[in-house]
Amino acid sequence: MTTPIERVCVIGAGVMGAGIAAQVANAGVPVLLLDIVKDGPDRSAIARGAVAKMQKTEPASFMSADAARLVTVGNLEDDLEQVAGCQWVVEAIIERLDLKQALYAKLDAVCPPGTAISSNTSTIRLASLLDGMGESFRKRFAITHFFNPPRYMRLLELVVGPNTDAALFDGVADFIDRRLGKSVVRTNDTPGFIANRIGTFWLQHGVNTAIAHKLTVAEADAVMGRPLGVPKTGIFGLLDLIGLDLMPHIARSMTESLAADDPFHDTTRELPFLQRMIGEGYTGRKGKGGFYRLNKGASGREKIKESIGLVTGEYAPTQSVRLPDALSRDLGTLLASNDKFGAYAWSVMSDTLSYAARLVPEIADEIVAVDAAMRLGFNWKRGPFELLDAIGPAKVAARLEQEGRKVPALLRAVGEGTFYRIHEGRPEFFGTDGLYHPVPRQDGVLLLDDVKRGAKPLARNGSASLWDIGEGVACLEFHTKMNALDDKIVALLDKSLTIVGERFRALVIANDGSNFSAGANLGTALFAGNIAAWGEIEKTVAEGQRVFKAMKYAPFPVVAAPAGLALGGGCEVLLHADAIVAHAETYAGLVETGVGLVPGWGGNGEMLTRVAAARGMPKGPMPTVAAVFETISQAKVSKSAAEARAMRILRDSDSIVMNRDRLLFDARAKALSLVEGYKAPEKPEFRLSGQGGRAGLGLAVADFAKRGIATPHDVVVADALAELLSGGDFDIVDIVTEDQLLALERRAFMRLIRTGPTLARIEHMLTTGKPLRN
Amino acid sequence: MQVYEAPLRDMRFVLHELHGLERLQQIEAFAEVNEELVDSVLEEAGRLATEVLLPLNATGDAEGCRLENGVVRTPAGFPEAYKTFREGGWPSLASDPAYGGQGLPECVSKLVEEISCAANLSFSLYPGLTHGAVQALAAHGSTELKDIYLAKMIEGVWTGSMCLTESHCGTDLGMMRTRAVPAEDGTYKITGSKIFISAGEHDLTENIVHLVLAKLPDGPPGVKGISLFLVPKFIPDADGKPGRRNGVMCTGLEHKMGLKASATCQMSFDDATGWLVGAPHKGMAAMFTMMNEERLGVGIQGLGVCSAAYQSATAYAKDRLQGRSLSGAKRPDLAADPIIVHPDVRRTLMTMRANTEGCRAVGIWVAQAVDLSKHAKTEAERQAADDFVALMTPVVKALFTDLGFETASHAIQVYGGHGYIREHGVEQYARDARIAMLYEGTNGIQALDLVGRKMPSNMGRLLRSFFHPVADWIEANRTHAGVGPMVAHLERAFGALQLATGTVGERGLRDPEEAGAAATDYLRLLGLVAQAYMLVRSAAIASDRIEAGDDESGFYQAKLTTAQFFVDRILPQSASLFLTIKSGKASTMAMPEMAF
Repeated sequence: MTTPIERVCVIGAGVMGAGIAAQVANAGVPVLLLDIVKDGPDRSAIARGAVAKMQKTEPASFMSADAARLVTVGNLEDDLEQVAGCQWVVEAIIERLDLKQALYAKLDAVCPPGTAISSNTSTIRLASLLDGMGESFRKRFAITHFFNPPRYMRLLELVVGPNTDAALFDGVADFIDRRLGKSVVRTNDTPGFIANRIGTFWLQHGVNTAIAHKLTVAEADAVMGRPLGVPKTGIFGLLDLIGLDLMPHIARSMTESLAADDPFHDTTRELPFLQRMIGEGYTGRKGKGGFYRLNKGASGREKIKESIGLVTGEYAPTQSVRLPDALSRDLGTLLASNDKFGAYAWSVMSDTLSYAARLVPEIADEIVAVDAAMRLGFNWKRGPFELLDAIGPAKVAARLEQEGRKVPALLRAVGEGTFYRIHEGRPEFFGTDGLYHPVPRQDGVLLLDDVKRGAKPLARNGSASLWDIGEGVACLEFHTKMNALDDKIVALLDKSLTIVGERFRALVIANDGSNFSAGANLGTALFAGNIAAWGEIEKTVAEGQRVFKAMKYAPFPVVAAPAGLALGGGCEVLLHADAIVAHAETYAGLVETGVGLVPGWGGNGEMLTRVAAARGMPKGPMPTVAAVFETISQAKVSKSAAEARAMRILRDSDSIVMNRDRLLFDARAKALSLVEGYKAPEKPEFRLSGQGGRAGLGLAVADFAKRGIATPHDVVVADALAELLSGGDFDIVDIVTEDQLLALERRAFMRLIRTGPTLARIEHMLTTGKPLRN
Repeated sequence: MQVYEAPLRDMRFVLHELHGLERLQQIEAFAEVNEELVDSVLEEAGRLATEVLLPLNATGDAEGCRLENGVVRTPAGFPEAYKTFREGGWPSLASDPAYGGQGLPECVSKLVEEISCAANLSFSLYPGLTHGAVQALAAHGSTELKDIYLAKMIEGVWTGSMCLTESHCGTDLGMMRTRAVPAEDGTYKITGSKIFISAGEHDLTENIVHLVLAKLPDGPPGVKGISLFLVPKFIPDADGKPGRRNGVMCTGLEHKMGLKASATCQMSFDDATGWLVGAPHKGMAAMFTMMNEERLGVGIQGLGVCSAAYQSATAYAKDRLQGRSLSGAKRPDLAADPIIVHPDVRRTLMTMRANTEGCRAVGIWVAQAVDLSKHAKTEAERQAADDFVALMTPVVKALFTDLGFETASHAIQVYGGHGYIREHGVEQYARDARIAMLYEGTNGIQALDLVGRKMPSNMGRLLRSFFHPVADWIEANRTHAGVGPMVAHLERAFGALQLATGTVGERGLRDPEEAGAAATDYLRLLGLVAQAYMLVRSAAIASDRIEAGDDESGFYQAKLTTAQFFVDRILPQSASLFLTIKSGKASTMAMPEMAF
């Protein structure tokens, strides 16, 4: 029986330590962040400075201002005894064995039995850290290896020793999984564990081979980016993100500890130009630039994307590279292709995949861990064994053989089969014992992918599907590009309401995509606008309003489970659900004004209702209308689910889930909890601020325009929004019904989409991805 | 008998009443342009057409051009007519005043072109090609080249030609073989052969300026490796006078179906001296400058033939006596009624008339946008006008030339058997008009340009320039007392066009062959709605005038009747075109090649 973790200590306030502390705070858990003493008036200045810096830098480490307040800073001399109040201590200090062990001795003395202690080391093995340490310490110690930045990278590698108290670290693993939202991958105590071992091999090999094959940086990245998807940025783009200086460091630690016959050594080369770049401060995005940089153009205004010549060592404007269509579509075609792209892909990936295959079971017991580590730690779209399956393991083996190269035992063992298969509707993997085993899933993890594998959808069209996810709950999945909402999604939602009403207890709206929904499909809207199909557009708006309201008033609970973007119409889906179960990384907002529109699918009324009901809201219509006007007119997007709550998109009763893999399970549980005695919400009645309110909002906008903050079309859009939110021709004493407000919403939407500047904004957003300030 | 009188009343209506000169007059360059000035220009053009150009139309067709020792002789009377034409200042009408042009708006110039094409299409090609060459040179040529050539070409003292096509490549210019080799003095030596070169050689002017597409030795393969060169027949000397004979020769004349008085030459370039126009390898861009201009011009050729064929057919139908009216004799004093009493002849004539007037109104709408795209005050206005010109250029080219041939064929039908024999002259219209559907990009290519390039461009922004004004006008005029029911018809057809646009846009994105299979029908549908919009708008104006008691000549009543005919009898094609488009590519593409 272990004590639950209610307070955590992180020692070492560097980038990793501070980031880990922030993520603990994001989970709502108090955290003590310690570093060494700094001479001067503030002896805890190092830790304090680290927290202050995190509050300024992007991407943000904290999910909310509240989270930042959960961090207590201190120093290792004055505050060490406070560590005793923590149930888990994470060491993230400099990678020096002597300093780490000296710290461990102090911690072992101050911490009560049952306190877990772990190291975030990436280069020192557990056995070395424990060398000479006492029996009691060995029991409470393990390696918990986070990836940078800890808030956003979902991988955590856990290394436990032979003496480690398994129950203690099961508790820590559970905390990391549920509270910190990381996927815990257990690895063996080998250099670089899984991700860095394979990842560094792959990166170094990728750089060396690009040079040897005379590819440009952009060409190499185009090959790795698509269709390999390892990752979208390609090798050089990823190195810029990681930091060029970090790679030699990690690589050196591995060359020092790996066996002499390990293929890793072949990838380690002296690259003078790389040394020179690091020396001159070109360490990647954190420095002056890396393999890529943005340079000012001749006019000084536009930025030119430049990349370094691997031969010349000079920056030159990046020539965009497009692989021939056939190559970028199909992995097999790419690897088999005789051109420089195919040769590069085969050279790097055949070695990397072979290397991965020969490392199981050395670094991890089974292939599942390796695939997970590469996906979550290096952002590969597919792990090494999943890639091998996509190419065909037998094909790879045959070609290796043909080229006189060694075929790894595991690859030989899988033979004509694949590393993964679906057996009786369940995913199985190929074990080192030569047999297939079920892919393990944690309790409380429900993946739509798994549901879909063995099942037929209850209903489906080109844009969405309805699935039975068990326990009488159905799940509506979007599957368009960026999960943009279109008329087919609306139609399937409509149909789902009937199906669920007849045969299910509740509906969950969720998907496995990286974004819940980026909003309505603007391309369709723009095309319709360009051909003046106003009637069609208004029909689409009205139909969306109707179906969203039908969902709101359906006789069963509806739970929306967003992760990633939930913008515009995607946000309006959330607003009409009975409950929201949001992944912590949810970026939600009504962004319509950015493209010169107002929310058109009932978002305005739902926000008015939410804001009016919020605690501490002053009475009377004006403050509510003004608050909603501010949120919508500025097209605010939350930078986390916590911020979405502050914006009132999430209500107090809505919940936030830290682990993406647990989202669907928790959403289903939430839906089921609402079933008993479920009553659809009452229809709201609005009291709005009337003409006077509209004038007041107009004055504020006019002032922004005068100060040059609002553009001419901002004023037009804001006026349409102000008219709608203040109730159009209704007076402050009138009751406005929901249907009347929806009519106002339609009118404002149609008024705006008919203007040239709005269509220009949409066009600009679609062509450049950026808002047009006209 | 070929008869033709410039339809000045309708032209004035289109310019002054339908489109109006007001927007142009607000632009500094056109501040001096007014109705009186424009009317006198059109009147003069009409006189020139009837007195000088029309009499040479049939004779020129009969005589044709001859190649004698490398020199092309145009038919009798052509050199003199060209002299009259040039001395009248007609070539320089809409050209840049900086090089001696008169700076009149394009919308006026296009009406003058309609008049000259109606009177004598072959003749009109000589100055017509110079127009495009001037545009390309003005847009892309160096100052030095412009100083030597532009004024002469604008004045019409020298003419221009466009040398693109080779025997093995027309639409696909990437396969071009003509080479240009840099010489030490900065000029180029051009070697190769071109075919189908209109006005490549003739005896109308002292010099001919060829714009020639050729490949440089270091050019990348395909169309990206093509450059544009200026190659004069005679290299101008220091005084700008035609000097040394250049290495360019006419080696043959094409034997054609029609357009016989226009010299269509096979040209041979043998180490000819040329000057680069624009940047190396950017010849296609420069070429498209003249091509776009020319495509509108070719559309106007189709319109000219419509107008001429309609007039000849009408004159004949009023004159020719055959049979009696189905509702009882109309001219009992004569042996038979004139054939214009017969419903089917009426149907034919009304179709010809409505199409002609519809095209004229659309053409001037686009021509005015050309003026705005170049001269409007704000960038936004210029962009919007340019969008419209880009969208409508393929429509004007293909629709007008299709209708030019159809209308000429209708004229033959009205003449009966007499239409098929030479002496009445109407079969010449059909033969002359047929080429316009082919050159400057076949009409199939125009349709592809519309659905493949113009429609998806800038996420469909170009469409806005057409759809928005039409939608707005329909909305504002649904309850128009005089033409409300016509507006309802227009709205239905417009709805079909919107649906078709959505269908083609959506399917084309998934499968370019879908767009390709629908292209020609889609272009026709867009053109049909554009014509209907113009005619119903014209009818609304006419109805207002009649309401105000202002229709002494019956002109406005005729406008109303013509529009009603179009709406009743031609616009319903929109339904059939829509169904055709909706059916998709399947049955078009299903047949295996072997089965053909």
